Amino acid sequence: MSDFGLYLHIPFCLKKCPYCSFYSLEGRMDLVERYVQAINTQLRFCAEAYRNHLRPMTSIFFGGGTPTLLPAAALSRLLSKCLERFSCADEAEISIEVNPATVDRSDLAVLRQAGFNRLSIGVQSLQDAELRQLGRPHTVADAVDTVRWARTAGFENINLDLMYGLSGQGIQTWKTTLEHALELQPTHLSIYELTIEAGTPFARMEEQGTLFLPDEDTVLLMLEETQQLLMQAGLQRYEISNYAQPGYQCRHNINYWQNGEYLGLGAGAVAFFNKTRFTAIANAEQFCARLEKGQEVWMEKEKLDREAAFRETVIMGLRMTAGVSLAALTDHFDLNAESYYSDTLHRLIRQGMVRIVQGRLQLTAQGFLLANTVMAELV
Amino acid sequence: MKNIRNFSVIAHIDHGKSTLSDRMIQLCGGVTDREFKDQLLDNMDIERERGITIKSQTICLPFTAADGQEYALNLVDTPGHVDFSYEVSRALAACEGALLLIDAAQGVEAQTLANLYLAMENDLEIIPVINKIDLPAAEPDKVAEEIEEDLGLDGEVIRKCSAKTGVGVQEILETIVTHLPPPEGDPDKPLEALIFDASYDPYRGTVISVRIINGTLKPGEQILFMHNKTEYRVEEVGQFYLTRTPQKSLSAGQVGYIIAGVKNVADTKPGDTITHKDAPCPAPLPGFQEVQQVVFSSIYPISTDEYEDLATALEKLKLNDAALTFQKDTSAALGFGFRCGFLGLLHLEVVQERLEREFDIPLILTVPSVRYQITLQDDTELTVENPSHFPDPGAIARIEEPFIKATILIPERYMGVVMTLCMERRGENTNYHYPMPGRIEFTCELPLAEVIYDFYDKLKSVTQGYGSFDYELIDYRPSDLVKLDILVNSEKVDALSQLTHRDRSRERGLKACESLKEEIPRQMFKIAIQAAIGGNIVARTNVAALRKDVTAKCYGGDISRKRKLLEKQKAGKKRMKTVGNVEIPQSAFLSVLKSEQ
Repeated sequence: MSDFGLYLHIPFCLKKCPYCSFYSLEGRMDLVERYVQAINTQLRFCAEAYRNHLRPMTSIFFGGGTPTLLPAAALSRLLSKCLERFSCADEAEISIEVNPATVDRSDLAVLRQAGFNRLSIGVQSLQDAELRQLGRPHTVADAVDTVRWARTAGFENINLDLMYGLSGQGIQTWKTTLEHALELQPTHLSIYELTIEAGTPFARMEEQGTLFLPDEDTVLLMLEETQQLLMQAGLQRYEISNYAQPGYQCRHNINYWQNGEYLGLGAGAVAFFNKTRFTAIANAEQFCARLEKGQEVWMEKEKLDREAAFRETVIMGLRMTAGVSLAALTDHFDLNAESYYSDTLHRLIRQGMVRIVQGRLQLTAQGFLLANTVMAELV
Repeated sequence: MKNIRNFSVIAHIDHGKSTLSDRMIQLCGGVTDREFKDQLLDNMDIERERGITIKSQTICLPFTAADGQEYALNLVDTPGHVDFSYEVSRALAACEGALLLIDAAQGVEAQTLANLYLAMENDLEIIPVINKIDLPAAEPDKVAEEIEEDLGLDGEVIRKCSAKTGVGVQEILETIVTHLPPPEGDPDKPLEALIFDASYDPYRGTVISVRIINGTLKPGEQILFMHNKTEYRVEEVGQFYLTRTPQKSLSAGQVGYIIAGVKNVADTKPGDTITHKDAPCPAPLPGFQEVQQVVFSSIYPISTDEYEDLATALEKLKLNDAALTFQKDTSAALGFGFRCGFLGLLHLEVVQERLEREFDIPLILTVPSVRYQITLQDDTELTVENPSHFPDPGAIARIEEPFIKATILIPERYMGVVMTLCMERRGENTNYHYPMPGRIEFTCELPLAEVIYDFYDKLKSVTQGYGSFDYELIDYRPSDLVKLDILVNSEKVDALSQLTHRDRSRERGLKACESLKEEIPRQMFKIAIQAAIGGNIVARTNVAALRKDVTAKCYGGDISRKRKLLEKQKAGKKRMKTVGNVEIPQSAFLSVLKSEQ
């Protein structure tokens, strides 16, 4: 049986980061109680309405926003509600995103106790100046403390989020951050190149020329250094931005990239099952109001036809170094990728962008750098 | 007949011709405020946006003058751009008088003069009108002085107005009645009707605008187009009020329309004479010329499956635009398209915009060319306006290219830069005089090819907008012409080939390479762009390979959005033309046409 995930979105943030384009609520802690209540309602509703589509959860992920703006006890209660409503596979991966300076030693203990077994820590940088530039409300020391406390609390599987390609960042500072991060011995690293998203303060700064992003050569060098350093440290790249020790790949996210099924709870969350993708209203207040009135929260339902779903599965799968299994595609969609893409695929192979290894279609090292260009041919 | 006045408004571009026309229509009660749309006579969106009139329209204004009598004022609208000066001259030939409209802030400009000369050639009575007197920068007295002293027109007749506010417009209408002569002519003589315009009505066919010089015309009569030598039976005659209004007859002195089952506008030629088949006039009216296309460019649909749509669209445009010519053309890079002939660059732009806007067909145009006369070694003569038909240089004995006489009117201080510009463009026989103090009328003989390129933009920029320009074709002169090819990753892109003077070829090649470099997006591999004459590379540049194009984050909540972005990227690729393995966007083809900014 393939995986089934559960995502729970907590949109609250202390302060919106200037590079972030995701839906989140700055301040508005007044809404928390109502929101939790609404989620409980949604849980109850989904467990009932989608009974026939759900399977035992193989992963649960509490993400945000900043989930840890909710008290640890509240998060624990939410998790236990989830576990009450939905059956859960043995050894399920249960992750929560935490931000440094929003949790202390005892909070982490409570979370571990409640059943969370994987932490994703929003470290972003291990340079205080960079953290300030990113508008992060924590320090390097806070991040280091959080990792240490997490270990004490019994978290063995720890991811750190890091960003490179920051304004004013040089190759040396980045290496220092990486080395420092590796000293913390994470089992998993998510390493994102800073992306300037339209409509964010960073986008405006870039327009005004007050952002000093490193040039393409430097960014490429940073990526190269990253791969090398992490390889030596035993963390293997398994997706465009994700690296893990063997056996510690994030099961929840892999399910996304395999275009697997999942349920999403909360404002703006997305669910995908029964070949349909559902998107909840991305406004916490209206989300609550709708649930209070017993109304539907899905604002969008997307059902792709077989070929489009097939193509989507291909491009999502290509994000992973393992790529996508041609046999699994044929099984699932009754389409043969090689004949479906025929000339385009052969050209991409000739151009050294993709390859087929042991029945799996994968991006090459070069293809990973130009993933969008390649995917735009296959989508 | 004594209560008819036929007149045009002639003006430099932007001097307010359309606004004044609208105001006069409003004053004569031809339109209610509710129907009033700015610039009534400019039907096409493009005209309204650019503030120029391309297709002229005519309207009959019923006007009760101060003398208590009812007059029919026929306003014959004229296009206001150098490309259309023959059309202007035919419209003027239909009139007894003209309002010479001059901007109170700008004063007299080259087109004002050119149009004034045209009006004088047609023996028109002139009423100078100073417009925009409401502008803060208006200097109506100074302009009045220019008109009197420099143009030698009667100061007594000058009228001042603001077409925008309506001030002074009533007086202009009175002056038209008192100052312009009524038409002459004899309704009982053999029919002489001057065609000055034609437009297409999908239900009725061609609607021919005419001025009856002599005679009378009624529905049911057999008519003869004297130059075309074609015959038709008149279905309807009438006058232009806000809509076409049928009449029992049209007779000497009147301006109106004829519907006679003429299928294509192209079957009517401005300047042609219509007469009765059975009782023809002795000779056609003077001044007829065949319309000449001077600029040629190939038009291709971006998407090859839109070729049929493009063909249909061109047919439809042609219905209303007799000056446009087109025939099939093919390109290895772009597939099937059409080689089109235009009156000038503005005409080309108008056609391009109408195709894209009214017919929603994205296009690629090739570099505009003029028509060259080529004599081969074996004395064969041919004309070439398409680079792909350029003969083997070894076989050519002589090439001649069209020359124009450019008339440029500028404030004195720009003399230096304009002279330099003309010299850069291979100008010859420059001459100048002062038609009025502080202003120079500069004339220069230039190859037309240099003018259609980006001359007008350049002139505007070096004179900070103060230079105005008019031209006429004069003759053909020997030229050292070469064919410049563009190669992308060593593959020749035939649609980017251009004919150019040898002295200018390197510069053109360099510019084309640079423009392409700007517009061709980076791709998976390095792209070499070269300009070549024969086997000789004259310019080259590269587009570096794309090195990084990857989305860092994509999780459950992003999948649809990221997929749609990739689909958009894919659709963008589809709109590009693939030459070899290089994808070239429409903008790259267009950039080669555009002047450097």
